[in-house]
Amino acid sequence: MSTPSTADAPTHPPEPAATNTGVTPPPAQSARSRTTERVIGVLALVGTVCTVWLGLWVTPPDRTQGDLVRLVYIHPGVAWVALYLAFGLAAVSSVLYLWPRTRSLFWDRLAAAAVEVGVVFNICTLVSGSIWGKPTWGVWWAWDARLTLTAVLLVLFLGYLALRRIPAEPEVRARRSAFVALFAVIDVPLVHFSVNWWNTLHQGATVLNPGLTLKIHGSMAWTLLLGFAALTLVFVWMLLVRYRIGVLEDWLDANELGAALAERQAEGADRAGGPLAGGHPGDGAPTERVGVA
Amino acid sequence: MRYVIAGYVVILTLLFLYSVQLVWRRRRLNRTVARAVSAGRSAVAAPSDTGRAA
Repeated sequence: MSTPSTADAPTHPPEPAATNTGVTPPPAQSARSRTTERVIGVLALVGTVCTVWLGLWVTPPDRTQGDLVRLVYIHPGVAWVALYLAFGLAAVSSVLYLWPRTRSLFWDRLAAAAVEVGVVFNICTLVSGSIWGKPTWGVWWAWDARLTLTAVLLVLFLGYLALRRIPAEPEVRARRSAFVALFAVIDVPLVHFSVNWWNTLHQGATVLNPGLTLKIHGSMAWTLLLGFAALTLVFVWMLLVRYRIGVLEDWLDANELGAALAERQAEGADRAGGPLAGGHPGDGAPTERVGVA
Repeated sequence: MRYVIAGYVVILTLLFLYSVQLVWRRRRLNRTVARAVSAGRSAVAAPSDTGRAA
């Protein structure tokens, strides 16, 4: 009687088979996955340290900006991660969740992880931009099109994270989160093209301009590109860890309900005092699996 | 230069703190899941024994 009931089977991959004890542990992180995560983490750390070293000590000051150009080695990098990688990935994952053929809670967890990490990078973008703006423009903040739209983006994705905290069935939460993510991500192209469409204080794109031509050269260009690569690796590492957290949280949410149901079934069995205690109706035999999904 | 240093310090500190928080969260959840699995096993055993006894 130890065969698990199909009604208790999880509806989304990847989940391992139930154990003989009736408890389905969460999918374990493979050794290969752990190794990949560690390698990416080490590369991200080394890349970040190299960027800081090149940015602060090796590259020369700019002719017009002076030492302030050193902030450019990290500010576009964090903006790249937040706007294009994190929120772009959240949008793609949301589409893949909403698309019936690819619908899986995997995409929902990936979108949630990308948004949370993206929000942190979005905050870094606004803070580093503000610190650069004070000595350059004379103010910490200006209601400039790009700055304002980036702040709006942060608020929209904070709303996304708040929406996910509202208790709901996983499928319901995933569906409405996906719609909100797709609505919020409309702001990303507005942020990107704001410096072309409106007269703004913010300078034009240094790398991601229409011609994809680097507007800085030599050691400055290499340091900027290294900063992009290092922060991308930091994002990937954070995404992997945050995704795993999502898997564990979902498992705990599902099993809290399962444990409560099991408790009620056990209470019912005690009251009945008979073989109906958690068993299949009619066969009179107790089951060894109690509703833990 | 103090603005540059401040910018680097703020960003690197934010990213470092968030990374530490992620690792800490995952470790705590791993422990909670391990406890839940062992508790689930004992919870499963109890009603089954009741059923057999009845």
